[in-house]
Amino acid sequence: DNDLDALMADLMADLDATEKLAAEKKAAAKDPHPTLENLHLPSPDHASVPAPPLPPAHRASSVPVPTPVPTSAPAPAPSSSTNPPSAENEEQAKADKIKLALEKLKEAKVKKLVVKVEMTNGSSKTLMVDERQTVRDVLDNLFEKTHCDCNVDWCLYETNPELQTERGFEDHENLVEPLSAWTRDSENKVLFREQEDKYAVFKNPQNFYLWKKDKKALKDMKDKDKELLLEENFCGSSIIVPDLEGALYLKEDGKKSWKQRYFLLRASGIYYVPKGKTKTSRDLVSLVNFDNVNVYYAKEYKAKYKAPTDFCFILKHPQIQKESQYIKYLCCDDHRAMTLWVTGIRVAKVSKAPISSPLTPRTRISRGPTAHCVVFSTGSRCTRTTRLTQPLPPPPLMDVLPPPPPDPVMPPPPPLPNKGGLPPPPPPSSVTKNRGGALPPAPVEDFPPPPPLDDGELPPDFMPPPPPAAGVGFYLHGGEALPPPPPDPVGLPLAPPPPGPPPPPPPPPPVGAPAPRPVLPAKREGPAPPKRTTPGLSAPSGGDFMSELMVAMQKKRVQQ
Amino acid sequence: MAAWDLSVTVEDLGPDAPPIVISVTSDLHIGRVILDVVQKTQLQRDWSDHALWWEQKQQWLLRTAWTLEKCGIHADAKLVLTPQHKPLQLGLPNGVTVRLCACFSRAVFHTVVEICKVLNIRHPEELSLLRPVEVKKKKKDKDHVQNIYDLTDVSLTSDSIPCLYNGMPVHFTDSPKAEDIYKMLSMCQPSPSPEALAKMYRPASIVDKTHIHTRWLDSSRTLMQQGVQQDDTLWLRFKYNTFYDLEPKYDAVRLTQLYEQARWAILLEDIDCTEEEMMLFGALQYHISKLAQSESQNRVSGIEDLDCALQSLELKLEGDKSGTTDMIENMTAPELNDYLKIFRPKRLTLKGYKQYWFKFKDTSISYYKNQEERFGEPIQQLNLKGSDVSPDVNVAGQKFCIKLLIPAPEGMNELYLRCEDEQQYSQWMAACRLGSKGLTLADSSFQREKKSIQSFLSMQRSNSGDQSAQTSENINTFSLLSPRYQKKYKAKQLTPRILDSYQNVARLSMTEAILKFLQIWQALPDFGISYFMVRFKGSRKDEVLGIANNRLIRIDLGVGDVVKTWRYSNMRQWNVNWDIRQVAIEFDGNINMAFGCVTADCKIVHEYIGGYIFMSTRGRDRSDTLNEELFHKLTGGHEVL
Repeated sequence: DNDLDALMADLMADLDATEKLAAEKKAAAKDPHPTLENLHLPSPDHASVPAPPLPPAHRASSVPVPTPVPTSAPAPAPSSSTNPPSAENEEQAKADKIKLALEKLKEAKVKKLVVKVEMTNGSSKTLMVDERQTVRDVLDNLFEKTHCDCNVDWCLYETNPELQTERGFEDHENLVEPLSAWTRDSENKVLFREQEDKYAVFKNPQNFYLWKKDKKALKDMKDKDKELLLEENFCGSSIIVPDLEGALYLKEDGKKSWKQRYFLLRASGIYYVPKGKTKTSRDLVSLVNFDNVNVYYAKEYKAKYKAPTDFCFILKHPQIQKESQYIKYLCCDDHRAMTLWVTGIRVAKVSKAPISSPLTPRTRISRGPTAHCVVFSTGSRCTRTTRLTQPLPPPPLMDVLPPPPPDPVMPPPPPLPNKGGLPPPPPPSSVTKNRGGALPPAPVEDFPPPPPLDDGELPPDFMPPPPPAAGVGFYLHGGEALPPPPPDPVGLPLAPPPPGPPPPPPPPPPVGAPAPRPVLPAKREGPAPPKRTTPGLSAPSGGDFMSELMVAMQKKRVQQ
Repeated sequence: MAAWDLSVTVEDLGPDAPPIVISVTSDLHIGRVILDVVQKTQLQRDWSDHALWWEQKQQWLLRTAWTLEKCGIHADAKLVLTPQHKPLQLGLPNGVTVRLCACFSRAVFHTVVEICKVLNIRHPEELSLLRPVEVKKKKKDKDHVQNIYDLTDVSLTSDSIPCLYNGMPVHFTDSPKAEDIYKMLSMCQPSPSPEALAKMYRPASIVDKTHIHTRWLDSSRTLMQQGVQQDDTLWLRFKYNTFYDLEPKYDAVRLTQLYEQARWAILLEDIDCTEEEMMLFGALQYHISKLAQSESQNRVSGIEDLDCALQSLELKLEGDKSGTTDMIENMTAPELNDYLKIFRPKRLTLKGYKQYWFKFKDTSISYYKNQEERFGEPIQQLNLKGSDVSPDVNVAGQKFCIKLLIPAPEGMNELYLRCEDEQQYSQWMAACRLGSKGLTLADSSFQREKKSIQSFLSMQRSNSGDQSAQTSENINTFSLLSPRYQKKYKAKQLTPRILDSYQNVARLSMTEAILKFLQIWQALPDFGISYFMVRFKGSRKDEVLGIANNRLIRIDLGVGDVVKTWRYSNMRQWNVNWDIRQVAIEFDGNINMAFGCVTADCKIVHEYIGGYIFMSTRGRDRSDTLNEELFHKLTGGHEVL
């Protein structure tokens, strides 16, 4: 920082000089600009006075930054014509200095928070989070610092005791922004814990997309059908939102009573059926759209707000921290309905992710059913049979959502291990009459045997942790990150990291991140997470991240 | 072998000419017959496309090596020598009619493949032909002759995918006329007038929606076999709602036509949506047609190149952030400063607007008592990021207010800013919009945002004023929405709502906007369902069967509720009993269902299901070649076997 200060002083002197020069040249007609202004860093408390740097405690350090007036930038241009060449060099040197200083300023402008994260055992860890980091990055960080098993259910949870709400941060979210919305005296907490519902929609998509079916059918769902559901709903050009509908209780604006209404979930928002109308789309009334709200589980609202049940959730702007008429309070009959709605809303929020740049359009639009092997048998004279036999073993699917390696620098996929010529899947069981030539082409490859882990039931920690190299989770990611299970059998999480890609630059040393207590370096569980990309590089603003991911996925598709 | 007389009508001789009679023996090849007939006509022309059509049997004699005996032709056969390719009037999804040469002698599936090659639409398997809905011609309409684009001269040189020249397929670059046609195909059509829109047929119920699907042609038979004549009108439409591998780079025509089909489906309520969704569709249409307008103007005046150059320059500037000047500019975002009036509605207070000096900087608004105090401490500073910005405007009443809902820990702060005039309003509104998205005035979209707000204001003005004042450049609000909204709302009620949605899409490029439109369309709950009137086995009443890309849906006719859903992934087999016209399907777990078709031909339903299964097999063998054989196997019915 001394370095910076010195530079700043230097810079200011230079600026003054240039300013005078420029001012002389400029016509006096112009409004006299103030030479220096104080630019405040966006800090959560709208401090309006040039404040002394806050104690480096909890908030971003806000350095008052002298802002060069616009005129100072082009200053060299008008003066250079009159000045001797030596002055020109000087100007050049000055410009370089300015540039350097500005770069430093930019770095200093990055907001950082010191965050206390509470562990399941009641202890806590403190880490420095910078505004460019996603929740996924922070989780990776925590995996390194703790002895947890790194399974996919681990997540960061936000609790608000005042509203009695909690919410899991999505992996693609930024952490600093929502935390900045907390009030100074907030009792909110960030928890690090396992939460089964985080990935529920990918583990058992049928529970959400076929929720109307009976429980037994849902439980007996075959893996290939789950996979198909995921592909249909997440791999098309738009993410399909579960078609939830049903009676919920809504707490009326500013009143204490709860009123039952029939609600429907659509990609564009939550709607309800007005009195005396039918479910026809055009009659529906919009309750809320998902542009600016998040969904939160609400605890014990029976006592707090006289809710009909304790299965409540609320929708609110993330900045709202206290009771307000702008919060939508909803109450479900049972736990299942609540999980359905909260998850459905999360999917809907993700489905609204902006479409990417025209250079990386989504190429695949819904594909419909996939792995069918179709066989014909000649029917009797008047009957023709088209027979769909047992589908082929689906492209080996470790689990429902092997994360596609989103590293944009994708190595070419290693050769498919079909050299050995595994026998094609057993011939369809359909009997006799198959005419020889009538077989339509089956998928080209002989698939390798399903990976050993391919169980029917999914134990909670069934999935290996996402390769941290990805820097990305597949937790409701802005869309395409989600699931298309890479048909390429090698892309499995268990496979060692592909040898090809040059490791991205190492993460910047966590500035001042104090190791809370000396952690023994040994025994890291799960795959080593050596190659985390620098968040600043991979996700400059958080927004581009998705498109990069998509590029990567597309590359992968092409390579297949 | 005994010789006998065979009479062949030659179409080229004219309708009244007598048939040509030649003497043949039964072992004569078809090719030889054609040669003999041609020689007898003494006409000099290219006969290579001609073939014999056997009228009684309704079939083509395309195997020239077969003998008359093998074909089963005797002296009583009526044969016609006729071209295999004949002109056809083709109604495109965008409502324009083109005239082109289509193949009458091969299965419709192949005919569509050829047509799509001419039109430069990839993945022709997703489209098909259907008979148009008859329009009752009124005498008044007679003078209204529709412009028909002629593509009959276009010849494709090779079988390969047409290469692009100047962004256009080569076969469109021959003449300015052809170029115009390509422009028509690849650019969105202007919005219809509200009056025309209101007059068009809209399905009122799910039963109405079943009618359109009775009109599809049979993909496995030829046009000639289905009674289509030269110069008849047919519609080309996307039939299977699963659009594979959309790639803006190659799919200019395909995307445009798909967008047009989707737009008409929305406007004419083929698919239902909520009011909010309708507003967004309206906003996207508005945006797309604005872009199309400006693009075509640019083309006319030849500024295209300049525009491109400017755009790339802009990109360069945006991309190059390392320059000192850029960095300084980034850090010294421009600001807005002006006197505005503010009003904070509070309970039980009726305080009016108060004037302050306002400053907009970065994403925040600060206000001061007056201009002199602007360097001091503001009375309040409000960060607009994440806030809700909506217009409260009445052009006729000269009211230009911005309603802000700014999030705070205690809830949302509601306040109104009142501007003096349009100019001021558009500036501050644009700034608030950007601010709410976390963008500063330095963002390149500021000017665009400002312009679009102004154009929307002018739209409101023309709507509220006299109708005649409308110029071609203005787009009527009602042209963007289904006619239902004409009755329900006034234009000045709708315009702000569309504007509201518009702010979320105003920054999209043409392609992005089209993709967005398609994306929202596909996300509608009822998307992609084709309805058929059927009667289920064991049921005494008519019901509706919905066929989608992944499932079959049984729908109650009276209530319109979904009764049951079957997914193809559970389907084991399906049979068609052509004698009693019944489709029987077996699903996993011994679930069986069967139904007969009430209105549509059984073949159409069969083809739909088979077609979707076919669509799902695409892309697995990773080759781009179309597996025509497989399609026919899945959809053909007994004729093919």
